[in-house]
Order: sequence, then structure tokens, then C-alpha cells
Amino acid sequence: MLSRVAENLYWFGRYVQRAENTARLINVNANLMLDLPRRMPLGWAPLIEITGAEAAFKELYDEATEENVVRFLMIDPRNPGSIVSSLNNAREILRVSRDTMPRDTWERLNDIYFYVQERGESSILRTARQAFVQQVISGALLVYSVLTTNMSRDVGFQFLRIGTNIEQADMTTRILDVRTLRLNQNDDKLDLTPFENIVWMSVLRSLTAYQMYRRHLRTRVNGNGVVRFLLQNRDFPRSAMFCLDNIASTLPHLPNSRSIERTIDRTRGLVRDANIEGLMKTAMGVPDLMDEIQIGLNDLHTALADAYFSQSGS
Amino acid sequence: MAFDWRNYRCDAAYDELFAASGAPRPAARSLVEYLQSLSPRDLADRRLAADLAIKVMGITFTVYSEGKNVDRAWPFDIIPRVIPKKEWETTEKGLKQRVDALNHFIQDVYGKQQIVKDGIFPAEILAESVNFRKQCVGVKPKHGIWAHICGSDLVRDGDGTLYVLEDNLRVPSGVSYMLENRGVIKRIWPELFQTTNILPVDDYAAQLYDTLVAISPRPGDAPNVVLLTPGIYNSAYFEHAYLAQQMGVELVEGSDLTVGDDDCVYMRTIDGPKRVDVIYRRIDDLFLDPDVFNPDSILGAKGLMRAWIAGKVGLANAPGAGVADDKVVYAYVPQMIKYYLGEDAILPNVPSYLCFDKKQRDYVIANLDKLVVKPANESGGYGMMIGPRVGKEEHAKFKALIEGNPRNYMAQPTLSLSTAPTICDDEIEPRHLDLRPFILSRGESTYVTTGGLTRVALVKGSLIVNSSQGGGSKDTWIVDIDDDTPGVVTSPAAAAQTQSQSQEGTL
Repeated sequence: MLSRVAENLYWFGRYVQRAENTARLINVNANLMLDLPRRMPLGWAPLIEITGAEAAFKELYDEATEENVVRFLMIDPRNPGSIVSSLNNAREILRVSRDTMPRDTWERLNDIYFYVQERGESSILRTARQAFVQQVISGALLVYSVLTTNMSRDVGFQFLRIGTNIEQADMTTRILDVRTLRLNQNDDKLDLTPFENIVWMSVLRSLTAYQMYRRHLRTRVNGNGVVRFLLQNRDFPRSAMFCLDNIASTLPHLPNSRSIERTIDRTRGLVRDANIEGLMKTAMGVPDLMDEIQIGLNDLHTALADAYFSQSGS
Repeated sequence: MAFDWRNYRCDAAYDELFAASGAPRPAARSLVEYLQSLSPRDLADRRLAADLAIKVMGITFTVYSEGKNVDRAWPFDIIPRVIPKKEWETTEKGLKQRVDALNHFIQDVYGKQQIVKDGIFPAEILAESVNFRKQCVGVKPKHGIWAHICGSDLVRDGDGTLYVLEDNLRVPSGVSYMLENRGVIKRIWPELFQTTNILPVDDYAAQLYDTLVAISPRPGDAPNVVLLTPGIYNSAYFEHAYLAQQMGVELVEGSDLTVGDDDCVYMRTIDGPKRVDVIYRRIDDLFLDPDVFNPDSILGAKGLMRAWIAGKVGLANAPGAGVADDKVVYAYVPQMIKYYLGEDAILPNVPSYLCFDKKQRDYVIANLDKLVVKPANESGGYGMMIGPRVGKEEHAKFKALIEGNPRNYMAQPTLSLSTAPTICDDEIEPRHLDLRPFILSRGESTYVTTGGLTRVALVKGSLIVNSSQGGGSKDTWIVDIDDDTPGVVTSPAAAAQTQSQSQEGTL
């Protein structure tokens, strides 16, 4: 496999996953807002923090209103992490890598790409938004299903999986980071306790984890349980641990993967050994751990780039 | 109310589907009957379905406009162009013969130059050819094949004769659109494939792969074939990606390749360098190797020519093959066929006047208002003059140009390109078209596509079929009809041709 192509496949996995996650995030936040009293400090700004785009947002918009945030995350081409930018990037990659993925991938990606192009502007407001976001999620799921049902489990597929899983681990830890921080640092001295459960439920929902959480834990939703589940559960596909395990399982298919294995094992250790109950007792416990995991994911990306992507042929 | 074919006015040129208004040619009869059974609403629905299919299938071409590259949907007309199988068999033979002679010629000019010594081909034409690569002298590629992939443009004149307008031997493009056109047509007219015996076109990618494998320097092993593209900003990028995908080979860019001290070509992979055996290169000679040609080129790879001359890698088409892709050399193809094969040309050339010859030059200058004048080495219709379409000033300008550099000019009579029914807004009207079949040469066998890419000028009266200038395309059907009715019926109006035509060669 060409180095350039391996890198493209990796990024393709990341961009599609990012588009899907961003769509879910918007949808779930809208539902959360409906359940919370209007004076609650948990508006739309956390979504900007979760996607790590505070600087870019501030440059383009004055206020984190619902409309501004939704526009910025859904259809603003100036936001490199928006749904439209992610799909555009994925499509540009697919255009140069069409020979490596099944042809249906291209057609299905074009379906959502054109849908977003045509319907984005009219889907900012609440009434049309849900159908739009749902369409993006379904479209991304179709792309995955074409890939998982029609693509050989060759090396290229492994790079797609690595990209998808790094992106998911990244998103899961970002959501936990911002949500725990916000719940713990309540500057307005409002009593959030009555709504805490609603917020934790929405955290689960934004990762489609609510139902699986209930099945696995069979207890009521609470902060400790949610953080533990999304971080350490080995069976749920969007938990950080599951994603890291998944990346580790690709390594036997890849050449010269020793350095990558070391990086993953270090990050897996961080996740596995975390004492959630203890961390949840301090305001910065979970956010600090999330930062460490994020550094681990960055190291993993660097290790992949050094081993496979950089142009160092002869 | 269905479209009434009696209102289809096709008497201005030879029409591919109709012998006269309301009278379809035998091979087109079932298609026309079927179209007749559709309401205008049905027809509009099929058109929409085709547009949608093209969009979703992502069939695009790239045009450069306003400082950036834009991907446009491939313009496509849903009424196919039909050619009877019997006629096609002769055309196919003619194309094989032609490319065979061209390959002999290229090998000869880079070898002993016997054809020059025997006085058939003038030495001065060779001496001034801009596509002659002195680096290729003495090289003998495997099987003596230089032009592995050839795209020849055919046009039909008013009397129904198919002429070869030019041979594209460098990096001919368009074949992916031929394949995709059929894909679209199958989606929107599936019924027609039951009632009409349409020969399939799907085989091309497999045939191309076999052609490339045949020039591997390491026979026996599974050779590593790659397609070298200049990248996403090339207008034919869609085709490069499409063909690589269809053949299951890597699509590489120059930066993916290196040439080692052992003269072998390697590509950079996640396992380290991997040897490349055959390169289907879709970049021009001059960008292949900065060591030998354009030193600023980053599209090719340093040392590629060294590797090819050492026989460590196969290149298709071979560097230097373009020497025969020259409008003046073109005029000698019938003589080449006679000289190398001892046969008469099956497909005629468009009569050509070569300006380096005084007698012919005098004729051209006296008849500038009737002729099409073309420079020898330009493609894409650049620098040509369509005599009947321009005024005295332009004639005077070309007179000076020809006299200043006679070797670089040739002239041809203005042909009246044939037409076929084409949907234009809500009407069906005749539009002019050409045909580009593709010929694959492997030495021991030659393959010709079943039909080829039909390009159609969508603008009324226009003969410019280029997709960037209002041109579109049609699916091309080679139809097997059981009876022996001749496919070519002379149009009663053929004699009343208007001489107001032009031809465009490249895509």
C-alpha cells in the first residue's frame, strides 16, 4: 500500500466519523435544551469547546447563540471541523483514493455531500434541523456499511479502522472533558443537582450509549457510572477503551508496528487504571485525565505518521 | 403525444439514425420505435434519471475557470448513436491496420529510418518534428510496440464515408466516459437491451490490464502495474482514478516514485520501497523525467528514462511515440500502410495538403476560404483556421504564417460532420458528432473497443464537440441486425452539403 494512500484512508475514516459525531452532538444538545430551564448556564457554547474550535468561532461570530453555533458546526465552510467541511474533506480524499475503496462508497458519500450542500442553509432552524441531522447520521452509517460489507480486510481497511477509532476516542474524551468541567465548575452558584441526571443522560445519548449503558449497568444514570462506562467499558463501540483495543487489534496486520504498539499500550494503561470514583471527587480530576488521554492520542497519530505516512522511501 | 419523427429535419448532413425524416436506418429501427412509444413526460423523466445517475456516480470532468478548477457533471445525451455491426467490423479492421503501421513507423524512425532512406517519408519532416525524442533513438521496446494505447478520431462526411481525422498516440483520454455512458444508459433504458442486440463494452479495463502486463520486464511474476497521474487538477483525473480502480492497480503520483541505483523504479509504501514493473503514464513525455526533459517537472520521477532505456520498467505509451501524432505525419499514414504492411488503407484519411510541398502550398493559399488549416503539432484545436468561417484578414494572416513556416502547416477540405437526434430543451434536433475508438496493441494481438466515445456538439450548428466548450457525449451502440441490409444508406440530401464545418480533435 502506498504511503500516501494509507494516510488518505486514515483521514477518510476520521472525517466521516467526525461528521457523524458532530451531527449527533447537535441533535442531542437541542433535546437537552428543551428539558432544561432557560436560565441554565449550559447553552450551546459547550459544543464549541467540545469540538475544540473556540478560537475559530470567536473570530467569526459574536455570541454563542443557538443559531450561530448550529450554523458554525453544520454548514460553515470556514470551520474546518464543520459537517460540511468534514464531508468535503472526505470527498476530496475519496476522489484521489477511489481505486482503493468500493465504488458504492463514492456514491453514498456523494448522496450526503449533495444533500448537505442543498439543504444545509434551510436546516438551521429547529423545525428542519432534526431531519437534516438524522440524514447526515444515516448517510454516514451507510458509508460505513458499504465499507464493512464490501471492502476486503486488507491493510487499507486497517487504516480506515484506525482513523475511525482515533476520531471516536477523541470525541468521547472531549465530551467527557467539557461536560464534567461544566458540571463541576458552576460559577453561577445555581443548584444543578436536579438537572444533573438529565445532563448525564444527554452525554450518553450524544454517544448513542444510553440504551447500552442501561443494559450493562442496570442502575440509574449517575456521573460515576457514565464516566466509567464511556471510558472503560470493553464492549461498547464508542467507549475510549473499546476504540483503543480496536486500534491495537489492527497492528498484527501492519508492518513495523512496534512503536505504535508502545504508544497504544501506554494510553490503554491510563484509561484502564483510572480510579473514576476518586477523580470525580475533585473538579479537575476527570478533565485532567482526559487531557492526558488526548496527549496519548496525539502521540499515536505522530507514531503512525512516522511509521507509515511520511515520505521516506529510499 | 409522442415525438413525431417526421418533424425531425435531418437533411443538412448525413444522419446516423435516419436515412430521411421519419425513416430510421435499419440498425436504429428498434430504438426509434421505442422512443416513439414514450410520452414527452416519460422522456423528460428519463433525462432527469440520467442527470441524477451521472451526479451520484460522480461522472465529472474538470474545467479550469476563474482561477480554479471546477468539477462539472459530464454532459450526456440519452439518445444513443447506433452503428451496424457489419460496418463496425470493417472499421475495426481498418483501425488495427492503421495502428500496426504506426507502430512500425515509430520503431523505424528510432531505428534504421528505412522509410526515409527508401524515399517514402521526407527526412525534413522528421528533422523538424517537435515530438521526435532523440533520447529514444536505438531503443527497442518489448514487441516493438510504442503506441500501446491509441485513440483515433473518426468523422463521417456527407456521403456516409468514415474518415480518420487524427490519431492520438500520446495520452489519449475519454475511454472512461465511454464505459460510464453505457452504465448510465443501462440504468435508464434497461428495456432496450432486451429488444436490441447491443454489443457490450465492459471488457476494456481487463484488456488494458493485459496490454500493460505484456510489457513487464519480469514476466512470470505477478507484475506490479501502476497508473501515473499528474494529480487531481488534471482535467482527466476522473479517468485516471476510474481506470486504476477498474484494473485494481495503484494510482500513483510522481512523488510516490523513485528510481534506485539499480535503475529499477520503486514506489513508497507502508512496507518500504516496492518495485514497479509497468507504468501506464498519463503525463506528457516532457514531464516524465526532470533529468532528461523539463528540469522543473515534479509530475514525473528523476531517472525514469534511465530505467526505461535499461529495460527495467515498461512505459505505456513509450516516450517518443508522439512522433507519429503529428498532423503532417498523419498525411503519410496511407503510404506507411502500403510500405510496412503491403496493404491498401481500409479507412481513408481526410485528403490533406502539406504546405512544405510547393504545389500543394500554392493550392492551399489559393483556396484559404474553403479549407481548414491546422498547425502540425498542436492539439485541442489550437492555432487552426476554419477558412469558410473567417474573413479576409484571417486568411491573410494564415498566408503569412504558412509562408513563414510551411513545414508546420497542413490543410484539409471542410467536412460536413454527420448528425444524430439529440434532445435539446424540449425538442429533438440533429446535432453534429464524431467518434473516438480506442485501440490496444500488444504485439501478438490488437484490441479495438466496441464502438468508442461519441462526442456531440450540443450547440445548434456547432461542430465543436469538446466537453469544455458546450460538447457532450452519447452512448455508442454497435448493433447486430440479422438481415444483410447495408448499414450505410446515402442520404438523399447528401449532395446539398453546406461547407461550413470544422473539426476538433482532443477531448
